Amino acid sequence: MIRILLLSENNNIIEKFGGILQKNTYDFSAMSDYNLVYDFISAEAPDIIIIDNNLKHIDILNKKIKSLCENTIIIFLLSSDKIDKSIIKYANAFLPKELTDDLIISTINVNLRMKNSLEMLSNSNKDLADSLYRLNALYSTSSQFAGTLDKSKLIQYMIEGMDKALSFSLTCTLSFCTENVPVLILNSLYELSDELITAIKLRTILNYNSIFKDNKPPIKLDIDKLKVIKHIKYPANRFTFTLFQYDNMFAPISLGENFFGCIEIFKESSFTPEDATCFQTIAQQVTLPLKSATLYQEIIETNAKLAKLERLKSEFISIVSHELRTPLTSIKNSLDILMSGRCGEISQSADKFLSMAMRNVQRLSGIINDLLDLSKIEAGKMVFNFAPTNINTVISYVKTALSEVAKSKGLNLITQEAENLPDITADSQRLEQVLTNLVSNAIKFTPENKTITISSEFINSKNIEINENFKNSVKLKNGDYILVCVKDEGIGIAEKDLIHAFDKFAQIENSLSRKAGGTGLGLPIAKQLLDAHNGAIWCDSELNKGSKFYFAIPVSLN
Amino acid sequence: MKKILIVDDEQDIVESLKFVLETADFTCYCAYNGEDGLRLAKEIMPDLIILDVMMPKINGYKISRLLKYDAKYKNIPILMVTARSQEEDKLIGEETGADEYITKPFDLNEVVKKVEEYLK
Repeated sequence: MIRILLLSENNNIIEKFGGILQKNTYDFSAMSDYNLVYDFISAEAPDIIIIDNNLKHIDILNKKIKSLCENTIIIFLLSSDKIDKSIIKYANAFLPKELTDDLIISTINVNLRMKNSLEMLSNSNKDLADSLYRLNALYSTSSQFAGTLDKSKLIQYMIEGMDKALSFSLTCTLSFCTENVPVLILNSLYELSDELITAIKLRTILNYNSIFKDNKPPIKLDIDKLKVIKHIKYPANRFTFTLFQYDNMFAPISLGENFFGCIEIFKESSFTPEDATCFQTIAQQVTLPLKSATLYQEIIETNAKLAKLERLKSEFISIVSHELRTPLTSIKNSLDILMSGRCGEISQSADKFLSMAMRNVQRLSGIINDLLDLSKIEAGKMVFNFAPTNINTVISYVKTALSEVAKSKGLNLITQEAENLPDITADSQRLEQVLTNLVSNAIKFTPENKTITISSEFINSKNIEINENFKNSVKLKNGDYILVCVKDEGIGIAEKDLIHAFDKFAQIENSLSRKAGGTGLGLPIAKQLLDAHNGAIWCDSELNKGSKFYFAIPVSLN
Repeated sequence: MKKILIVDDEQDIVESLKFVLETADFTCYCAYNGEDGLRLAKEIMPDLIILDVMMPKINGYKISRLLKYDAKYKNIPILMVTARSQEEDKLIGEETGADEYITKPFDLNEVVKKVEEYLK
């Protein structure tokens, strides 16, 4: 029933309104005593208060009423023409004293309808604000999800997100992501007794098993071994077993084959359909980042394993090389002594086999050196002595060192050096190693009476042409380079093998080149050495016509 | 006759070095560990020392340092023999004072040539 309160000291007015309003089945009261008014309205706010503006201290009364009855309609009854301006701001409507009964009723009804509309508006506003708040919670939770690849943090964010959006009494999260063992995380408003926790554990395990229906769960849960982590908001209070009568919701946290856990949530008041949607959304939202985090973790672990293997391999090579070097030294020394004739005259056939042994000792020692170099470079332990270097000095050194060998094979070794080349910052010994390797290869694979040419030039990167096979692997920065080319007229490399020329042990595949000797490590070492100079190495080749091996080093080393 | 001290824990290597150096008319003294090497160096005052790096107890770098920072022995040339192993890499950068480095496997004739150069 609509409650109407009339404040007046005038009995005529009270009687008049009483007559009209009671007849129209309103719950009508009238009073004038201040204290009584306060008690009355603070007990339950009336829908309408009609105030006689002849009442004393009307201003104070107004303030009090407004603060106590926010949504009440206030109508002023004007018994004289004078209107106190101070009361206008409190009034919803005014009634002149001489009004007919019908007009009074209709004024009251109009105002009541207005009040109802306002209330509806305010309620839908409140609903809107609620939805907005929930959306905000969802949004901030999902942005938290996006910010981490830590699985235990993701689970924690999920629980926090649900608390924000649903304000639960208790959340029981079974997590397979928090530690290495399954963990039951309890986020509770109040303290939980051990008996209650045991009951919750049992309930959670039953819930968990029910997810898999007829199938076996991926991990068998043991109630005695299930670890519990408790977060209690107000430890002074305790939940009792009535907790299980609270409204609750349950959801698995899984994505396809991946099972991360499950969550059950309790609340003293009941959940709305919106709450249920929100709950499911968050429980689903967390699964994708959990899956990414799982993959990320796997990648990290694989990487660590690979890095360890790589390190072991380098160490292994280094140790083996050292162990090989010492006995090799003794063999070589013995051969040296025998061949020097210090132990007596050597027959021609003995000399042939001693030389054979010596050649192979040298080859073995070359392999060990290459292996050591490669393992050092790969482990980042190679020491470079960078200094201003003229590439033509390197070229003439290599030419001098190898011209004898070339000559003995009936080959022409010539150089075409560009004049006035600027210095490059380089380790000249390492560049000699690279160039020696390239020229030795050319000597090995070139038949008699042919020519091997070493050339150098100063060139801008945009004028350097790199064939299709190396377009993707060789990337030169913009700028000036020194380009060195070793050109031979040898057997060449088939196009399909070109791209593998700089792979480790590449030539083992190739029986022809194995006959020519070599470790198959020279080119990969050369590649690594050039990488260390911010340079690049690549080659052009045509089967049975010859090969061109190029390397480029930037003029200004970064 | 000039006196040469050879210090290496690898007996075969010591023997081959001793053989070629003796054929080249040097008197050779041998030690098979760092401790003996250091003691012998002080005892016989050799004209030159051939010293292996990796040896048990006292390594070659340490022996070299001990001798080169002693006014009494600092003029004895030291040829350091290295296998470029990983343990040796860890010692890189340490002051040794050695006059020359020879990498295993080395050429015996080269070693003799080097020794003769230092003892000219």
